[in-house]
Amino acid sequence: MTRRLTAEDTAFVQTDDKIYDQKFEGKPIGFFKDAWMRFKQNKASVVAAIIILFIVMMAIFAPMFAPYGYREQHTSFGILPPRIPVLEKLGICDGSKIVEIQASKLGEYEECLMEVLDEYTWVYRNKEIPMLRIKINQYIYKGAGDYYFWFGTDNIGRDLWVRLWRGTRISLLIGFCSVLINCLIGVVYGSISGYYGGRVDMIMQRIIEIIGGVPFLVMSILFVMFMGAGVTSFILVLILTGWIGMSRMIRAQFYRYKDYEYVLASRTMGAKDRTLIFRHILPNAIGPIITQATFAVPSAIFSESFLSYLGLGIQAPEPSIGVLLAEGQGFLTTDPHLTLFPALVISLLMLAFNLFGNGLRDAFDPRMRGQ
Amino acid sequence: MVLTLFIIITISFFAIRLIPGDVLGEGANPELRAAMRARYHLDKPLIEQYVIFIKNFLSFDFGESINLYPRRPVFDVIAEKVPLTLVLNIFSLIITIPTGIACGIAAALKKNTLTDHAISTMVVFNVSVPSFVFASLLQYFLAYKLGWFPILLDLKAPFMSGAQLWSMVLPVLALSFGGIATITRYMRAELFEALSSEYMLLARAKGLTQLQATVRHALRNSFIPLCNVIVPMFMSVLSGSMVVETIFNIPGLGSLMTGSISTYDYNLTIAILFVYSLINLTSVLVVDLSYGIVDPRIRIGGGKTRE
Repeated sequence: MTRRLTAEDTAFVQTDDKIYDQKFEGKPIGFFKDAWMRFKQNKASVVAAIIILFIVMMAIFAPMFAPYGYREQHTSFGILPPRIPVLEKLGICDGSKIVEIQASKLGEYEECLMEVLDEYTWVYRNKEIPMLRIKINQYIYKGAGDYYFWFGTDNIGRDLWVRLWRGTRISLLIGFCSVLINCLIGVVYGSISGYYGGRVDMIMQRIIEIIGGVPFLVMSILFVMFMGAGVTSFILVLILTGWIGMSRMIRAQFYRYKDYEYVLASRTMGAKDRTLIFRHILPNAIGPIITQATFAVPSAIFSESFLSYLGLGIQAPEPSIGVLLAEGQGFLTTDPHLTLFPALVISLLMLAFNLFGNGLRDAFDPRMRGQ
Repeated sequence: MVLTLFIIITISFFAIRLIPGDVLGEGANPELRAAMRARYHLDKPLIEQYVIFIKNFLSFDFGESINLYPRRPVFDVIAEKVPLTLVLNIFSLIITIPTGIACGIAAALKKNTLTDHAISTMVVFNVSVPSFVFASLLQYFLAYKLGWFPILLDLKAPFMSGAQLWSMVLPVLALSFGGIATITRYMRAELFEALSSEYMLLARAKGLTQLQATVRHALRNSFIPLCNVIVPMFMSVLSGSMVVETIFNIPGLGSLMTGSISTYDYNLTIAILFVYSLINLTSVLVVDLSYGIVDPRIRIGGGKTRE
């Protein structure tokens, strides 16, 4: 069934009126705003961001306002359990410790005795010795009744609270600095290699292969032995091979974008290489750069504590989370608080950074969601 | 590869010689010191020491241990320590790889269900909690509080006996922890991509059941990139075992390394670094070669393809 068009069908409808484009309602959404809107939806990442912020704040301010210095020793108050003013009334973190003593020696613990948990006999050389398992207030026992060490003290009586946050500060400092420098080197190296391609690319990639061929562990051990352990040498160790991942990613981005028409158009109009690299191609990679940098921070912190654990760490008396963990390991069975708190902070920190990174990745590149 | 190895041992040689600190200790009497210096060629200039060192190295003479195990050939010391570390690592890989693959497959097949979310949460936790923290937690709760496992490795029991294997459970678990997460994550991503690709549609269209299509086509294809992860994992487990060995008091390669560094045992340190580098470079080589075997489309030296 067909219909013939008449002249009326093709006549102009609005010959007299002026025609306007429809006015946009709402504001234009830029790249970052778009990412932010998607990021906000991911609740886990928002919580992670808040945790990171909290830990960073604590690392900056907690040592400043603490009553004790990080290297201040109270030699007679070695290894005190945690004691926190309000919580101690609830029975947690009350500075108590469970000890096993001979029943005849109960008198020594009279002042600080809190509770007798268990009575038993211990056979030693065919003699039966009555024993007691009692809960005592270690603070009163050691004559530190007026002190409150929130996270307890280590074996030479240094306050773990201050040392932990100061250690976090150093770990974060190492993490952030190394990642920042890695990004810079990686971006420049990857850009040049990816943009020029050909022979330049070939040579630059061979160099990367040689550097990347040396195992990280071997490289870092040698470096720390050579430079001596310190914050600077740690940052340098993490830079040695850390930039390779970033440069590979950037190079791939350049290979993808450099043949696009808009790049060609810009080049036809006389844009210099520098303009093309930094103004036209690199901004495409801003999302992946931020994401990858976020994931690099926890792995830098991990490497630092790993090396500290091996005894190649920051020199005493300066703490870092790894150093604290290594120190705590020796007292694991008797005084787990020395391991518990640093372990908590480092796990929380790494967890938060990973979740935050996941959120950023999904926000910048929705195609990657859930992968 | 040989070049890289050569560079590594050269750097290690000079780096170790330049570390402040005296091999022989401060208190030794002068005659003894002179004799020892002569024995280990420490009295000659650095370059001459280096030439001697390289000559010996090329004839597989790694020298003698100086401080940690005085006068024993380094080769023997290392050979003695390797089996324990190797056993731990192999056990850990035996646990890691199947578990990781299974979790990854489960997550990919049941994407966006409760199973998937549970596995993803586990992955984030495993990636985030450092292996040594995990090792400490295992040691405290399972070994000390509950008493299910020995706290340290049972060294009195004969090698590979039941008692020793039982005491190995915790270190092996601690070592496998991170690796499982890595494999799971890769497996899930790869398999999911394979499942949603067009050849799967074709396979279904020509009459294969979902199970047949998944096992014969999707799984096979998703194993290819996994090679990339599994082989280098050996190295990462090996370096992870350094810390775990310290925690569980295992006299393996890792604790030997830390010991040799702290006692300035030149020859031993260099030899261990060499062993680690060798393992690492071999694993890189195996990865490169395995590409061609697993995926015939990739052949090195073939026609140039653009990325």
